[in-house]
Amino acid sequence: MDSVRDEESLCAINDAINPAADETSHQVASVPEKDQLAISAGMSTLLSACGGGGGSSVAENPAPIAPPPGSAITDREAARFLHQAALAATDADIARVITLGYSAWLDEQFSLPHTQSHYDWMISRGYQGNPNNANNFQGVDNTLWRKLMSSPDILRQRVVLALSEIFVVSMVGLPVSWRGFCVAAYVDLLEENAFGTYRSLLNAITLSTGMGNYLNMRGSQKEDPRTGREPDENYAREVLQLFSLGLYQLNIDGTVKTDAPGTPLETYTQNMITGLAKVFTGWDYTQFNRDDPAFQRLPMSLNASRHSSSDKSFLDITISGGTPGEQALQTALDTIAGHPNVGPFIGRQLIQRLVTSNPSPAYVGRVAAVFNNNGQGVRGDLKAVIKAVLLDGEARTDPAAQPAGWGKLREPVLRFVQWARTFGVTSPTDVWNIGDTSDPSRRLGQSPLRSPSVFNFFRPGYVPPNTSLGAQGLAAPEFQITNESSVVAYANYMQTAIQNGVGEVKGTYGVWLAQANDTPTLVSRIALLMSAGQLSTSTLSTISTAVAGIPANSDASRLNRIYAAILLVMAAPEYIVQK
Amino acid sequence: MSINQITRREFMRRSASLGIAGVAAPWALNLATLGEAAAVTVNGDYRALVCVFLYGGNDHGNTLVPYDSASYADYARIRQTLATPRDTLDATALSPVSALPDATRQMALAPQLAPLKPLFDTGKMAVLLNVGALIQPTTLAQYRAGNVPLPPKLFSHNDQQSFWQSSLPEGATSGWGGRIGDLFLSSNSTSTFTCINVSGNAVFMSGQSAVQYQISTSGSLALLGIGSPLYGSPACSAALNSLITANNSVNLMEAEHTRVMRRALDANSQLGSLPSLTTPFDASNSLATQLQMVAQLIAARSLLGAHRQVFFVSLGGFDTHDYLVAQHPGLLASVANAINSFYAATQELGVANAVTTFTASDFGRTLTSNGDGSDHGWGSHHFVIGGAVQGQRYFGTLPAVAVDGPDDVGQGRLLPTTSVDQLAATLATWMGVSPSELPLVASNIGNFTVKNIGLLAA
Repeated sequence: MDSVRDEESLCAINDAINPAADETSHQVASVPEKDQLAISAGMSTLLSACGGGGGSSVAENPAPIAPPPGSAITDREAARFLHQAALAATDADIARVITLGYSAWLDEQFSLPHTQSHYDWMISRGYQGNPNNANNFQGVDNTLWRKLMSSPDILRQRVVLALSEIFVVSMVGLPVSWRGFCVAAYVDLLEENAFGTYRSLLNAITLSTGMGNYLNMRGSQKEDPRTGREPDENYAREVLQLFSLGLYQLNIDGTVKTDAPGTPLETYTQNMITGLAKVFTGWDYTQFNRDDPAFQRLPMSLNASRHSSSDKSFLDITISGGTPGEQALQTALDTIAGHPNVGPFIGRQLIQRLVTSNPSPAYVGRVAAVFNNNGQGVRGDLKAVIKAVLLDGEARTDPAAQPAGWGKLREPVLRFVQWARTFGVTSPTDVWNIGDTSDPSRRLGQSPLRSPSVFNFFRPGYVPPNTSLGAQGLAAPEFQITNESSVVAYANYMQTAIQNGVGEVKGTYGVWLAQANDTPTLVSRIALLMSAGQLSTSTLSTISTAVAGIPANSDASRLNRIYAAILLVMAAPEYIVQK
Repeated sequence: MSINQITRREFMRRSASLGIAGVAAPWALNLATLGEAAAVTVNGDYRALVCVFLYGGNDHGNTLVPYDSASYADYARIRQTLATPRDTLDATALSPVSALPDATRQMALAPQLAPLKPLFDTGKMAVLLNVGALIQPTTLAQYRAGNVPLPPKLFSHNDQQSFWQSSLPEGATSGWGGRIGDLFLSSNSTSTFTCINVSGNAVFMSGQSAVQYQISTSGSLALLGIGSPLYGSPACSAALNSLITANNSVNLMEAEHTRVMRRALDANSQLGSLPSLTTPFDASNSLATQLQMVAQLIAARSLLGAHRQVFFVSLGGFDTHDYLVAQHPGLLASVANAINSFYAATQELGVANAVTTFTASDFGRTLTSNGDGSDHGWGSHHFVIGGAVQGQRYFGTLPAVAVDGPDDVGQGRLLPTTSVDQLAATLATWMGVSPSELPLVASNIGNFTVKNIGLLAA
């Protein structure tokens, strides 16, 4: 199922397949109406940006919600914003947001320089010097944790993590030479393009060796009538299903277009996959060298003799067989990137990764309108899209005014990284030896760039079964990796990590010692930074009363107070759901 | 939740699903329906289904390989470099109790499936031919004309995984394993242990009421911070317990997280340490370690008061667009090794006749080669293993080995001749589901004349 399924489409699909669909599908049909009601009053002027248009509407004012003149952003509001836009909220970050305001803070983050790339760091640490590393992933987890936990460009790092969960490449399934450098170079490419245009990002991903290897475009050859060999269809299928259009034609607000009987309209057919697969033939490594990983950071290049010379039909175009391969590829990517689905399809997923699992159609429509036109005639300007996501009234409205299904489960990796940044972890020898945290019974059940498949750790449309969420047709993607083992393993892992760190990566708690004597203050400070003050009074009281029972007569015991306060905050469901 | 509440909800659900009546159903009908529910009640015996899901779409072409010389020649010509050498198939060529309709055809298991050959030969394993997602029986002409309903989003991984498991594309909230579980919740002392998943969350295991319980390969997990004083503080342990189990959240996601945590803690306290087995399992084979946990849970069935259970295990890596020849044999070896150990474990436990294991996957793959692998297909061959299986037999129809043949929707993608709903209904019937309730399990079964394909002895 595509990621942008909304409640109506679920109902429509149920009905289409099974006319006697059970009561669930009928209940959910009422939800969009509720979402409409939930849209904050301040947004009423912006609804004109959405509706049934096919991408031709000019962006309205994307509704940046500047604080009203004279009213400062509060610490809680700043922390909440940072939890959506960044990886943590430190005192310094909160102060910076309050000083600059949301929009200017984003501008400042957009302009921050890149820090040392993953690829360069692995070279600087000498991972290319050991020939065995051609056949393993040594160094990749290290550098991924390094930047997630310590790189100062916190907006970029958060967006890169989000992009890595949409344009998925995974260490589970890259049996190639210098595979670790292949992954590192891929994430570098996401960084380089995170604040560019969607079209540039799509180009870079398509020609990357990371994606080329992961979805098998590298080495795919033209059809051969003599042997019956056919081009590999993997990238052609997934670029359409997952990276651009999704399965069904969308309105600009992300709702699914249907025909008169209510059947969803599909975006492409199997024949179009076969046609597009021919475009992606003939591409392979540039300058492969088994002794030097450098080829993994070069875009793939075309071997024209392996490129299909057939006509290539897909979507609404046919590329004639004689078209040179590079040109055919650019025409194909222009066609995909220009499709009206891309704005709502990608925009909705970015909202889900940063802000909330169930954005209202109006919110999706406003973001998609900015995707379609940033106000200066540019399509797919990711900076403008990120701003639209984070400054939208629905993102900035007090969560207390949102419906009961609003927000998103913080994914385990985000919780762990948030702890690390909030409590100033360091890696004394810069080795960041945390490793693979995928083990669901002993670690986090999730690890960056280690998704089990191109469908990510969780699907944008995942509906947890047998839940009141499901009964209301609400998606909760992160619940796909939430189960009886993972919830316990997370708490166990954090209990040890908070106290002892992981590997040589340990928290720094010295600055907290002075506050350990005053447990209500200690707990409320931690709750501010970790949950943007979203813990209830009774939860705060439960925690501070329990923590106060630990004596405070030595630094060692004061540290126990700090550990316990952090763990109890991080175990509370009010923290686990970001609102 | 009280028994009466469960019964009432179950009645409402069945009424809706069977299209009997609205909420204003007369009391007499209510009683009649509950009487039918009683027919599903079991009498102290035990039966379990184990779904072995092969994520990515197993390449059936190299799993069950044409062996007679004419078919093999077609296979080798179409598969090119993907073809398994014929001389490596001699030891695994299958001799069923009754010949295939075309007596000249013979099939062989992939060489790496050799551990399963004795199970076939001794009548403990059957081969299910060309099974796949269908809404109704479909001919090639109908497929091409597009004049019958087809499963949506054929050839798409996530949707076909979902359709196999639930008869709906992604977004479905119940699957047929869970829906079988729904009907037996009241047969088990602890409903939590009806649908147990040793892999990641899968829609297959969720019913309308049945909730999948996930357990790790090392068993249920204890929460350290509650088991011993948290950072030395019993008060903090108590606070932790209170925070993660308190039922006071307004936010639906918080409330759901709490429900999962409560189930985890409750189940862990009930399960304790599970019995161990003497049957060896390969600790380096993730499918084997999952099946070992299933065997240990079955060993504890009496302690848990379980009479009907559904289990789910899985192995990934089957999306062999590339490296088919390099990687697929190893995957099959893992499957064979794990299933072989598991069958032996059910013998050790004396439940071989009460446990039926079956393989499943997103879809089959193309018979043609893309140079280094195969692409997404549709119908596929699968295995059913257990003491109750009518073994050493083929079920279903053996497809032609051909591109553009009578079963081919393109590049050797098989149009299924047996539907997943027929498999589901057959397995559900063996578990004790009555004919009238089969549509609750397999929503499309009404479209098929044959509702029990005879895989299992009654």
